[in-house]
Amino acid sequence: MTAVIEARGLAKSYGATRALDGVSFSVEPGRIVGLIGPNGAGKTTALKAILGLTSFAGELRVLGLDPRSQRDELMRDVCFIADVAVLPRWLRVAQAIEFVAHVHPRFDRSVAENFLAKTDIKRGSRVGQLSKGMVTQLHLALILAIDARLLVLDEPTLGLDLLYRRQFYDTLLNDYFDKERTILLTTHQVEEVEQLFTDVIFINHGHFTLNAPVEELGSRYQQLTVSSEQAARARELKPFYEREIFGRVAMYFEGRTAAELGAYGELRTPSIADLFVAKMQGASST
Amino acid sequence: MNANAATAAPAPALVRRAGRLDTLVALVRRELWEHRSLWICALVVEGLLAVSLLIGHINMDLPDRVLTAQQKVALFTIAEWALAQPVFLVTSIVVGFYLLDCLYSERKDRSILFWKSLPLSDQLTVGSKFLVAAVIVPLGVFVLATAADLVFAAILALRIPEALSWSTYEWLRTELVLLLECVLGVLWYSPIAGALLLFSAWIPRNPILWASLVPVVAPIVERVGLGTHYIWDFERYRLNGIWHHLMLGPNVFNNFHSLPPVGVVLDTLNVRGAFADVDLWLGVAAALTMVYAAARVRRYRGDG
Repeated sequence: MTAVIEARGLAKSYGATRALDGVSFSVEPGRIVGLIGPNGAGKTTALKAILGLTSFAGELRVLGLDPRSQRDELMRDVCFIADVAVLPRWLRVAQAIEFVAHVHPRFDRSVAENFLAKTDIKRGSRVGQLSKGMVTQLHLALILAIDARLLVLDEPTLGLDLLYRRQFYDTLLNDYFDKERTILLTTHQVEEVEQLFTDVIFINHGHFTLNAPVEELGSRYQQLTVSSEQAARARELKPFYEREIFGRVAMYFEGRTAAELGAYGELRTPSIADLFVAKMQGASST
Repeated sequence: MNANAATAAPAPALVRRAGRLDTLVALVRRELWEHRSLWICALVVEGLLAVSLLIGHINMDLPDRVLTAQQKVALFTIAEWALAQPVFLVTSIVVGFYLLDCLYSERKDRSILFWKSLPLSDQLTVGSKFLVAAVIVPLGVFVLATAADLVFAAILALRIPEALSWSTYEWLRTELVLLLECVLGVLWYSPIAGALLLFSAWIPRNPILWASLVPVVAPIVERVGLGTHYIWDFERYRLNGIWHHLMLGPNVFNNFHSLPPVGVVLDTLNVRGAFADVDLWLGVAAALTMVYAAARVRRYRGDG
């Protein structure tokens, strides 16, 4: 099976800062990958490299093409939303549909029209007159009507209220995603979308600190909640991070079994958000 | 898993080949949607001229009291020619600002990331902007000026019938002179257009400031530093160097008694000389090089 994205030794520096420090990874078709990291971790740089928007060192193939030299070809099968603010303010809704219909060979106008019919967006309005949520709805309508193989979303719901955010991801999952498409998504609101992901990548200081399918997380990571009396003994099993919650201690382990940990307290699989915090904090404290 | 085999051959019904011409037409329309001043300004100029001809005071202070038929036709063509000049002049300025702005504004409002999310090459995008500036708008303005000249002729026939007389043949010859001016002007000034486009793609902030400062400061620096004035001479040449071929100088029209219609320049003008001018084509080559460079610069713009 050919990977949708195949990167080897992907690197990029801005001056003295190494935004990407030689990362290697691959993304298979039909996955929803969450790329998660703190600000300035290299997320956007990685996405820009994949989309051919920046130069980089190393090897990178997206749908079998090199984004540096074959970008024009690549963009027929790749779509992206960079940020909510990128639709130009002067553009009218009807013009946006008209334009994309003429330049994109895989755009299905009826899909966009049907989606917009469910919203309050008027065809004659300019983007500048729409609310932030409506602009995202419009952008989503345009993107969902494109039969792309890879969809890249960089903080697509930034600045939107909960209602629009929920609607955005529901539409994405129900109306768009299928086994042949791949979605690569970065977001700060991990809790809201973590059930969406099939794979997660944690990135920090240009390195990937975790890259795993979600179903493997349960067997790799454990969260053990113990009383403070048990904490000292549990600590001997070397958690990589711990924090106190209401007088109890939550400890995070990698590669331990339920048999080893079960005796000390309450055991469960950490949520992606908890695991992210544990990984980031754990890395900075050691 | 053979998911990939399925994705490699997408449903043929959906894959409509958007031809390059279709894409180019969409890109040109896009420019006219965004930069409405490109056509609004021209319409406003012609509208204002029509209104002022209708209600303004026309002062005819001619050396001869009674005009000959030839003089009337000549005056008619001169009026038509003169009334067509403002729209060309104003549109040239509007197009200059358009070229400086078009690749800068898409970075400023970050819409470049939206355009780049579509299968549009940098060459085709930048090319469409140059096409708008060098072909679509000049052609549109010429058609507008020709149509407006008919309206002006009708108004003048009502207001000063004693001074002008219509001649279809001379009117067509006058419009032909205007078309020649337009084509030569576009070709001769194309390197300026190319440079403005390159500035727009290249200058990180405030390309308008740089585009106005560089041509002014560079000759001063050369004059002060080296004592020479090559840059100044070059700039002056690039601004005026083509019009002597057309011989639209005032001396042709000096003698009022034997005043010729504007179309007379078609008999005397050096068309072959104008279009065989090496500097004209060197300029066009420079323009195309700069358009290509602007597309190259745009390649990694939006990365920041």
